[in-house]
Amino acid sequence: MVTTVKDVKTGAEALTTDKELTAPAVKPVTLPSENPVVYPLTLPEPAARTQTPAVGQRASRPDGRLHGLGQTKYIDDLTFPHMIHAKILRSAHPHARIISVDTSEAEAMPGVFATLTGKEIPVNSFGPTLQDQPVLAGDIVRHRGDGVAAVAAVTEQIAADALEKIKVEYEPLPAVFDPVEALKDEIKVHAPNSNIYASKVIRKGDVDKALAESDHVFHREFRTQFVEHVPLEPHSSVAMWDGNGRVTIYSSLGRITLGREDLSRTLRIPQNRVRLIGTIVGGNFGGKNEITNEPILALLSKKTGRPVKCTYTRGDEFVSSTIRHPFIMDYTTGVNNEGKILARKIRLVLDGGAYCSWTGTTIGKGSILAPGPYNIDNLLVEAYAVYTNKTTTGAMRGFGAPQVCFAYESQMDDIAVALGIDPLEIRLRNAFSENSFSPTSQVLQSVAIKESLLQASDRFGWKE
Amino acid sequence: MLVKLKVNGELRQADVPPETTLLKMLREDLGLTGAKLGCDVGDCGTCTVIVDGDSLNSCLMLAAKANGREITTIEGLATSADLHPLQKSFEELGALQCGFCGPGMLMSAKNLLDKNPEPSVHEIKDALSGNLCRCTGYTKIIEAIQDAGRELSGAAAGN
Amino acid sequence: MKRRGKGIGCMWYPIGFTVMANPSAATVKVNTDGTATLLTGTVETGQGALTVLGQIAAEALGISTDDVHVVSGDTDTTPMDTGAIASRTTYVTGNAIVRAAEAARELLFEAAAPLLGVKADQLEARDKRIQVLGFPSKSLPISEVALHAETNVGRPAIGSASYNPPTVPMDPETGQGKPFNTYVYATQIAEVEVDDETGEVEILRIVAVHDCGTPINPMLVEGQIQGGISMGVGFALQEEILFKDGVQVNPNLTNYIMPTSLDMPELEVELVDNYDPTGPFGAKGAGEPTAVPTAAAIMNAIYDAVGVRITSLPATAEKVMMAILEKREQEAKSA
Ligand code: FES
Ligand code: FES
Repeated sequence: MVTTVKDVKTGAEALTTDKELTAPAVKPVTLPSENPVVYPLTLPEPAARTQTPAVGQRASRPDGRLHGLGQTKYIDDLTFPHMIHAKILRSAHPHARIISVDTSEAEAMPGVFATLTGKEIPVNSFGPTLQDQPVLAGDIVRHRGDGVAAVAAVTEQIAADALEKIKVEYEPLPAVFDPVEALKDEIKVHAPNSNIYASKVIRKGDVDKALAESDHVFHREFRTQFVEHVPLEPHSSVAMWDGNGRVTIYSSLGRITLGREDLSRTLRIPQNRVRLIGTIVGGNFGGKNEITNEPILALLSKKTGRPVKCTYTRGDEFVSSTIRHPFIMDYTTGVNNEGKILARKIRLVLDGGAYCSWTGTTIGKGSILAPGPYNIDNLLVEAYAVYTNKTTTGAMRGFGAPQVCFAYESQMDDIAVALGIDPLEIRLRNAFSENSFSPTSQVLQSVAIKESLLQASDRFGWKE
Repeated sequence: MLVKLKVNGELRQADVPPETTLLKMLREDLGLTGAKLGCDVGDCGTCTVIVDGDSLNSCLMLAAKANGREITTIEGLATSADLHPLQKSFEELGALQCGFCGPGMLMSAKNLLDKNPEPSVHEIKDALSGNLCRCTGYTKIIEAIQDAGRELSGAAAGN
Repeated sequence: MKRRGKGIGCMWYPIGFTVMANPSAATVKVNTDGTATLLTGTVETGQGALTVLGQIAAEALGISTDDVHVVSGDTDTTPMDTGAIASRTTYVTGNAIVRAAEAARELLFEAAAPLLGVKADQLEARDKRIQVLGFPSKSLPISEVALHAETNVGRPAIGSASYNPPTVPMDPETGQGKPFNTYVYATQIAEVEVDDETGEVEILRIVAVHDCGTPINPMLVEGQIQGGISMGVGFALQEEILFKDGVQVNPNLTNYIMPTSLDMPELEVELVDNYDPTGPFGAKGAGEPTAVPTAAAIMNAIYDAVGVRITSLPATAEKVMMAILEKREQEAKSA
């Protein structure tokens, strides 16, 4: 078979050159104590780690020493015999129908072992709430980060070159980028479904009546931007399909139990045939909470009988992994002359990007937290998440909380300034205390908002 | 092309394609995975190593350019007798979290302390400005470098 | 001219998933020399989770942090865990570990009771010993008890348990319900200097006071807060992915600007003294909330400095300058 000959040739070539040219290291003539070492030495255990009680100790991290020695192994540091490298081709359009994908030329390139398209994925959908995201695009691409095809080759460079040989024919579709436009449903990202794919309402008391009765009503719109997690370690995985039909995957994923479920589902193999291993994630912040390239690598490994690795470039990291939801936040707040909040009406629009991802949690937390840590009897929060043909937004440190906090705290100061009340004082007048009711009427316990306000203002010297 | 260099005191060589970066050669041909690939274009500093006494981004240097030079990577910081003071202080203060920026940070810090054993906070910040960290806010890293500097200059003064 | 201002941002934040079950399971095995192994299905993502979880297991067994070895991150060997998400690890996985360690400890108590001549419920595990409550001079080293339990009694001290925070579904019409079991609270205060000729904002100082319940490891909590603030600083002043026709304009670290060491102000971090009886040894969590109030505090400080309300993030120098110019124009008009 032609491919076998080609594979063996390239593989063997790489192996022999490697061997012959790496000469044995010349041992330096130095005193042992000055000799640089790679492996740890016998060192004392830090006291905080050996004391009881354990809780409350400033115990150093056991991995801290390995970090300092450069010995912590991240996924991209792992290599396996006969390992090959995968690269993923991204969509050329923000919204298009895929007419055809021709990988034959790429496959014929020397050093290329296999290619993969969306049609070859057993169950081509995933997502923590809605399974609306393909592993590699099927018929439609919905943003520029959608993967269209993948290549596995002897080196990353060959895989990257091979991507350019893949011919994809697209029929561009009208795209929608503005979330407010998208609310109108004139251009649909997931036709025939509405672009509004998640919503949340929180209602308490009579907000309109209380606003009408307020001494002052404040209104403002706030907006936030797209933010990238920027883990210093880009996503990385290695998959190895073995002779028993079991696949072992080393991955930078932060949630392996659910990752295994997703892999089992997308690959259509039992969960006990999937082993998912994480070493340490080099920064997560919510961005490594769902599978990305793992099923692709598993299938490429199955096709080639070799371990397959893929480490995202910084560019992949930006365009194809999830980012933070921009919020458009409309706040109307009624207060009395003493600065006590009587009513708050909030409307949130979340730019969801092309797929649902962690929007369910983001809209939930965003809505519940939106009124702020304040006692408010009359409330209405309405939140909508819409699809647009942009990068998927998902989990990121705070799930909507930094966005709404920016809005509710900015408005708090608007009110304080207008009423001539000190910003610290107006917060203390409204803040939760033990057994306060939350916006969802939950009785709150172990509440420490006033304590934190007082302690922080003391430390800062707020009153000075 | 055959590249010969001295890494952490040992002579090493490898035959690499001409476009190979020093980072790639260290990681893939010499098995030194301490220096990390965070961006490959000189923006993040995770690949920082010391070449002939100056710290630089090894993703920006071609391996061929490093031929005949002396390289120190994170793997060359400890000796069989002891950890480097930076390694100790980083560990004790929990200066690193995910640790991915660590090898680069430590090499930039070593380069600074080699030249200026008692740097001010501003000098430390300056020296680290090319080393991004997403986890720590840099606070404990700066404290750890100050601690290590004090230990090093104390040792130099014979204390 | 450079003008100074100060601003407050305070916040609340929940631990765990919104209503949805998000359980963790754990297994604790006490070795015959009194050390222990903890199995957890979470993965270390840099926050120090494994250190904290080890400390929790150690506390429940009355041994030291170093006595516990933590095995994690392998679906073949470790029990299920919802994972490193939603600031849930200390609280949810921690609670599972406390229960698993208690189950293992119970076996130690049962093995030790006849040796000490008391009932199992009269015992406690402390300072690496199993001792009689209120009469600590009657005790045995935990190693001896563990060895006895395994080799004489034949019941090795191994415990497994799971935990899921209890919630009440939210009414679809009104949203009323109990979506989380607990929340944390925090205040950050920023001091900034705004150049009213360029719009440039320099953060001089941030004071951060956070509630995380009991800090299992104060050093690691401080690290979380410092790191969270740096993310908040980026969110406030620098970071933004720009799009043109659906294409990212700046998908690289050259043009996407995030905080470097030079952008970080002096941080003063303190913890509120608090204890949540539902958490492991009173602990709640610390991961995400640290990044929540920073931008709000900075925006309020900008207002205090130059009197302009920034309504869209990030507050780049151009944006702040535009707002200052607009304000001047309006003042000129009304004058
Ligand atoms: S990898 Fe070299 S600077 Fe980022
Ligand atoms: S410790 Fe994670 S990037 Fe620095």
